[in-house]
Parts: sequence; structure tokens; C-alpha cells
Amino acid sequence: MMFLRLNNTTTRLVFLFLSGILLLFIVAPLLGLFLSTSLPDLFETIKDTDVQRSIGLTLGVSALFTLLAGFFALPLAYIMARKEFRGKAFIQGLIDIPIVLPHSAAGIAVLGFISRDSALGRLADIMGLNLVGSPFAIGVAMAFVSVPFLINAARDGFEAVPERLEQAARSLGASPFRVFWQISLPLAKPSVITGLVLMFARGMSEFGAVVIVAYHPMTTPVLIFDRFNSFGLDYARPVAVLFIIICILVFMALRLLGRNKKKK
Amino acid sequence: MLLCRDLEYKVGTFHLEGFSLVLQQGDYCALLGPSGSGKTIILELIAGLRTLKKGSIIIDGKDCTLLPPQRRPVGILFQDYALFPHMSVFENIAWPLEIRKMKKNEIKRTVVSFASDLDIDRHMDRMPGSLSGGEKQRVALARTLVVHPKVLLLDEPLSALDAPLRDQSVLLLKKVSQTGITILHVTHDQAEVRFLANRQITIGS
Repeated sequence: MMFLRLNNTTTRLVFLFLSGILLLFIVAPLLGLFLSTSLPDLFETIKDTDVQRSIGLTLGVSALFTLLAGFFALPLAYIMARKEFRGKAFIQGLIDIPIVLPHSAAGIAVLGFISRDSALGRLADIMGLNLVGSPFAIGVAMAFVSVPFLINAARDGFEAVPERLEQAARSLGASPFRVFWQISLPLAKPSVITGLVLMFARGMSEFGAVVIVAYHPMTTPVLIFDRFNSFGLDYARPVAVLFIIICILVFMALRLLGRNKKKK
Repeated sequence: MLLCRDLEYKVGTFHLEGFSLVLQQGDYCALLGPSGSGKTIILELIAGLRTLKKGSIIIDGKDCTLLPPQRRPVGILFQDYALFPHMSVFENIAWPLEIRKMKKNEIKRTVVSFASDLDIDRHMDRMPGSLSGGEKQRVALARTLVVHPKVLLLDEPLSALDAPLRDQSVLLLKKVSQTGITILHVTHDQAEVRFLANRQITIGS
């Protein structure tokens, strides 16, 4: 008995120690980044119009393409949750490909899709547009690498909705679309919101794929890299700190929004 | 009123073959059989929630075999009641009427009338999660009956209730059956339908 209690205590201590090391691993670099940035440098960066423009572009494009992708991703997530069909595992594999691809390779793939040699690029060219180096290219690259997070989170959400509720709704006279819109989607909403937030977050932090399709106009991750490459760590650091603060504020706001809606 | 002719259906190792049933208006029929005998599947076939391999289903003289569930004049009360957890009691009962584009004041009047008949009018603002088993059942019944289905399908409606509630429910179902609706009641317990059913069908495992 005594041995068991001792064993429990040892296990708890080892687990606490290992967990503490991991948390320190996450916190230490961020803390170092914040501590080595002076307030005057940070205020100077806030006033920098290039930084302001890049943050606006990053947040705006990521939000827009997250919403656009949602329009296509939610039906796919619903099908993946509800239907059994031949080749389903293959489709799930396709959905997950962007997660396992090196992001530079994803960028090359997207570049091939929108460059002037592609059908889409030629079509844009006829209309006098060059997709490469445009906010559109940035959005496509962001969406390409981040959309699996939305699809998978929404699929898990739809799977958790009892199929019985959908059957009850059908037997009460609802069309399949009404069942989706008024029963399945509201019940899967927490997971769908989590998926949207994850996709938005992953999109705005994307560097590898974005830098290949559009160095200019600069998103904030590209700007941080550019400042580091051209002027060194001291110039890149305040931009990184500012971007991290904004990311944290945006996510806190989104979480609070989700929680308030849930309470209502 | 309800005519099922030579129903055939197969899923996994379960195989239903040659199932036929004729019910007249106002019949209260108990469908008995052991667990796994396919009683619930038969209800789901009649409700259109599963697709028949062969056979036909005629309700009130209309061939419903190929109709989707939302176009069949059938109401189904599920064993777990399947109340929508994100809607209040009022919203649950009103929902089928909203689908049918009924006017708001008419919806309110109808819901209040059904809720009063089923003694749930004081729970209108509550969410399903806070209701007892018996209350849930009455809300689900109100939601099903509010659109006046020709046939009411009951899937083990008493199995989740404890003894005192069960007796109340039996009385309630008796009251519903007296409105002239045709009822098919699935159960594995013959005793629970003794005072309700005027017909009885037993299917094997």
C-alpha cells in the first residue's frame, strides 16, 4: 500500500516535471523576445506605415479567404462526416495533403496554379490581371495550407451531432438543406468556429508558401523575414512582438465572441 | 390507412423479407419482437429514413414508397425522443409549423394548445436538457402531433421511463389513440401494450 502511494507520488512528480519543461520550452523564447524589445522601439514600429499596411493585409486576406473557404469546406466536411462511400479514405488523404507538404513545396504548387502559364493565370491575363504577387495569390497560398484545419474540425463537429436528430427533423417535414442549416450546423457550431479560428490563425502565420507566390505586397511574416534578412535581428524583433500581440488580441476577441454567443 | 406490401430490406447481416402489414384508420398496432429482430428498421422504412429494396408502402391511399421522409404523412417518436438540444420546448414544437410557413400568431396558438393538452405548457421556455424523461416524451409527442400525421410510429416509447411515469404515458398514448390516428407501436414488452393495442404482430429474430 505504502509502495503504491510512493509510486503514485513519484509518477505525479515526474509528470509535473516533464510538463513544466515543455511549458518552459514554449514560454521561454516568447518571453525572451518580449524582454529584449524596448517600448520606444515597439511604439516606433506601431507608427511604421509599412508595418501597419502589412498587418492589415495579413489579417484582412486571411479572414476573407477563411470565410470564402468555409463556403466550400463546410459541405465537404458534412459529406465526410455523414456519408460512407468508396474512396472516402483517399479523399481524406487528399484533404490532409497540405498539412504534410513542406510549405515551400505548397507555395511552388500554388504558383504553378496561378502563374501565367496556367489556365487560371491565362484567364486573368486576358482580363489584364497578374495573379502572382497579388493579395489573391497570398489568399490562395494561405487557404491552401490552412483549409484542412477547418475541414477536419468541422467534420468532427458534424460527426458529434446525433444522426437521430437529423432523422427526426426530416420526419417533421424538413428538407435536407434545412436540416443542415437549422439542426446540424448550429449543433456543430463550436467545432466549426474552432476550425475557422484555426484556419485564420494558420493562414495569417503562413510564410513558406506566401513568400513564393508574393514577396510583395508583404504580409507580416514576410516583412519580419525581410527586416531580419536586410537589417538584422534588432529590426525584425519589434515587428514580431507587435504581430504576436495582435494575434493574441484577435484570438482572445474571437474566443470571447464565441463564448458570448454560446451563453445567449 | 397504412399498407405495407412485401417489404424487403438488407443491411449488413440483417435481412428483412416479405414483411406485410395492413392497418385501418384508428388501429393501434403493437409490433413485438426480440432485440435485433428489425422492429425499428421497419418503422424507419415506413418513415422513409431507409430505402426499401423491394415492396411498397401506401399511406392514406397514396403510394409513399419513393417519397422522401419530409413528404410522408407520418410522425415518428424515437426511443430517445430526439429533441433539438439548441431549441427551447416552444421552439421544438413550433419548428415543424415554421417549416410549413404557418403565421407566427397561428403557430403560437397551436403550440400553446398542444402543450396545454399534454400538460407541458409551464415548460415552454425550458431547454430539453433540463427536462425529465416523461416531460421530454410529451414534448416530442407534441412536436410530432402538431402537424397532424396520418400515422404515428412509436419506437419503444416507454422503455426509458420508470414505473410511475410509464403508467402516465400509457394513459397519454391511450388518449392520443382515441383521436383516431393510426398507431404502430414497437416494443419487446408485451405487457406495456396490453391496454393500448387492438392489434398485435410478432416478428421473429
